Amino acid sequence: MIEAIPTQFIIIFVGLLAIMAFVGLNAVVLVYLERKVAGFIHRRPGPYEVGPPCFPHGILQPIADGLKLVGKQIFTPKGADSFLFWLAPMISIAPAIVCFIVIPFGPKLQIINTNVGLILILAFTGINVLALCLAGWASQNKYGLIGAARDISQGVAYEIPLLLVVLSVVFMTGTFNLFDIADGQGAWPWQWYIVYQPLAFVLFFICALAETNRNPFDLPEAESELTAGFHTEYSGMAFACFFLAEYAYMVVAACIMAILFLGGFQGPGAPGIWWFLAKVYVLLLIMIWIRWTFPRVRFDQLLNICWKWLIPLAVLNLLITLAVIAL
Amino acid sequence: MNLDLRLDTQGDFYSQRFQPTEREDTLVLNMGPQHPSTHGVLRILLEIDGEYIIRAEPVLGYIHRMHEKMAEVMSYPQYLPNPGRTDYLHALAWNWAHVAAVERLMGIEVPERAEYIRVITCELNRISSHLLWWGAILLDLGAFTPIMYAFDDRERIQDIMQRNTGSRLTYCYYRFGGVSADIDDKFIEDTRAECARLKDRAKMFKDLVTDNFILRKRLEEIGEIPVDTCRKYGATGPVLRGSGQAYDVRRAEPYSIYDRFDFNIPVYDSCDSMGRYLVRMDEIQESIKIIEQALDTLPEGDYILPKAPKRPKPPAGDVYFAVEGARGKIGMHLVSDGGKSPYRLKLRAPGFSNLSLFSEVAQGTLISDAIAILASLDLVIPEIDR
Amino acid sequence: MAQENQTLTHAYADISYDEPIIDHAPVQKILNICRAMSLWPMTFGLACCAIEMMGFGMARFDSARFGAEVFRPSPRQSDLMIVAGTVNKKLSPLVTMLYEQMPSPKWVIAMGNCAISGGPFVYKNQYGIVEGVDRIIPVDVYVPGCPPRPEGLLEGLFQVQKKITGRRWWPVPETATKSEQW
Repeated sequence: MIEAIPTQFIIIFVGLLAIMAFVGLNAVVLVYLERKVAGFIHRRPGPYEVGPPCFPHGILQPIADGLKLVGKQIFTPKGADSFLFWLAPMISIAPAIVCFIVIPFGPKLQIINTNVGLILILAFTGINVLALCLAGWASQNKYGLIGAARDISQGVAYEIPLLLVVLSVVFMTGTFNLFDIADGQGAWPWQWYIVYQPLAFVLFFICALAETNRNPFDLPEAESELTAGFHTEYSGMAFACFFLAEYAYMVVAACIMAILFLGGFQGPGAPGIWWFLAKVYVLLLIMIWIRWTFPRVRFDQLLNICWKWLIPLAVLNLLITLAVIAL
Repeated sequence: MNLDLRLDTQGDFYSQRFQPTEREDTLVLNMGPQHPSTHGVLRILLEIDGEYIIRAEPVLGYIHRMHEKMAEVMSYPQYLPNPGRTDYLHALAWNWAHVAAVERLMGIEVPERAEYIRVITCELNRISSHLLWWGAILLDLGAFTPIMYAFDDRERIQDIMQRNTGSRLTYCYYRFGGVSADIDDKFIEDTRAECARLKDRAKMFKDLVTDNFILRKRLEEIGEIPVDTCRKYGATGPVLRGSGQAYDVRRAEPYSIYDRFDFNIPVYDSCDSMGRYLVRMDEIQESIKIIEQALDTLPEGDYILPKAPKRPKPPAGDVYFAVEGARGKIGMHLVSDGGKSPYRLKLRAPGFSNLSLFSEVAQGTLISDAIAILASLDLVIPEIDR
Repeated sequence: MAQENQTLTHAYADISYDEPIIDHAPVQKILNICRAMSLWPMTFGLACCAIEMMGFGMARFDSARFGAEVFRPSPRQSDLMIVAGTVNKKLSPLVTMLYEQMPSPKWVIAMGNCAISGGPFVYKNQYGIVEGVDRIIPVDVYVPGCPPRPEGLLEGLFQVQKKITGRRWWPVPETATKSEQW
């Protein structure tokens, strides 16, 4: 009995380390990918020259950026609440890492297989709203304050359709267990839940964009309006934490979408992590593509989209799902 | 990001003067001088209630560069490069206004060919100015890609222009009595190719941006400026034409040879930001039409008056010359006392009048809308401050 | 543009930072290379030069190739301040404030003649402008021109990189021959 508990802890500990590495690596890859895709859309090379000749096409660019941010001076602005100011980036990044614990990357690759995996992820992603709010509030900056206010109303509003959409999938499968949801879908695309729930997928995608503060819903940090929004006063590593968290939440959102609608690790041939990562990266690429294509929506429009369109549609989707299940 | 941004500081002179308000639940936000969407160093004091703007007041003078005073201490040829630096985006229109004011006072007749060259280069410059504005407004609305496409065309125009003007941005090409260099076949060939290309690109601009659902929602019915407000503040250019009045200096008081060309003056009655957007998009096409007509009928002859005075000394008197710039009516009021430098030179900057109506229009709008309005006015701050 | 700035080869030694936490030569060297390869400029356009600064970031000249891609609007997150235009007396306290708001290590490029010396706006008894931004903040690299071409600003960026790391990273562009010039 005494042996059993430490083993569990060791698994979690090792898992957390692996996840941190995964999150870090993902951020590096995504930063590079984002810039290269942006460059492709803009018809320019993007990062190209940085790095020795053995690393062509500026592959080392994100690493240079990261190390530079580590080497930057960090300071608390005058008048800021220093405890909350430094707490905010930490509680922004920490829940993102916790979220990955329950995600089944492959048939045998999951740290904790729990019945409430989906609830856990939804609960922990909600904390990010608090982190951004604290960041904006504690930095004693008016732009930060407006950014924080925007973030709260945006985050709270978009949680509702997100939950409703997730609920309709959960009613179909009858479980909150992410592994079971992924396992319940077949190998071929027509066996995935996107076929049964196409509307739910679209709604989830829009909500995920809004929850991760991606363009066209990047209002909390709207560059041209609020200089840098909630992280206006953050420098160096604290700023990098917010960046890391943003990319981590993007990956989490893409992971959930892949599991709920695209069959997770299932795929033609052998199921495995490669299918999962491929789906996740396709979704991330679409997110990046959208970012560099659309203008930003206005704040009242953002809330109107949510309350007038997404929530009624999500409720409708849920009712149809329930009706079909009941029949 | 500046001065009185901290909640605990008292702010500087302007924000203290702005502070006293009747309401207690509002926030005074200081936008600028370093802010990405003020296009330079414009500073705007905003009193906001939540996201809604109650009052807005522009603060000017952060890039005042003494242009009018410099005219009084410099001789006429020494002052030639300066107008191009007031409005660096449409430098040639300012250059033209200055040169033509002196010419009118002295009674110099510019050769035919020089007038054609002036029209062609000035319209090319107008296109490049509008292209930059197009990228910048979309940058302010949160779309980053269009400015890259706009600069793609802009760089081509700059390459064409630098061939005979010698510079990329702050052109100083017109001289008293003509232009400084003749255009050659390569210039004509490149210009024709670029005109054809721009006509092609217009379709892409429309599909990619103008028809975009989010853009329309962001610009339509935002920042409605009734034509009366325009008249009250003396707004000109695309701002006035977007409000339904077809006033264009090129048509209203034709200078140079503009009366020989067949072109439309785009007018939209919607009075909103989208109207101003569409006016500028159409003006690019109209400029192309003018350039093509001018290239077709380009006469042979001198590009500068052979007897043109190098150091003009206009007779005593005063003269006013107006030119249609990319932002509106550019006016130069020159008072001469017969000396080698003007007694007084008054510059009428269209941006100044266009900005003046901002504080009235911005009332009751959201911050995002205010930025869309500001961008749709197409401001160049050094021109406003002079 | 192709010529090396003679004074720079001696000047790069006196970069001053706050006291570093890890003061270890190889670590500092690697950090310096990273800093040089990821200089994020601040969006701080003043006048005419700001347009050429935009051109410097756009597709044709594409500063992203050399890591100077991310134009940050907030001074807290930027490393490089490009003073692109005339600084007048009303603006000068703000330029100082923005410089002080940037976290160390930070570098300044004075872009254009106005920022270097007041440029075309200097005359006898002028009342408005600051004759050179180096009178109010320390400047690392001067890029002359009115306005400088984006290539010139790129060269200025290379000189900042050289000042940080002590070596030039990119090949010196060849001067065009007479027949190629137009």
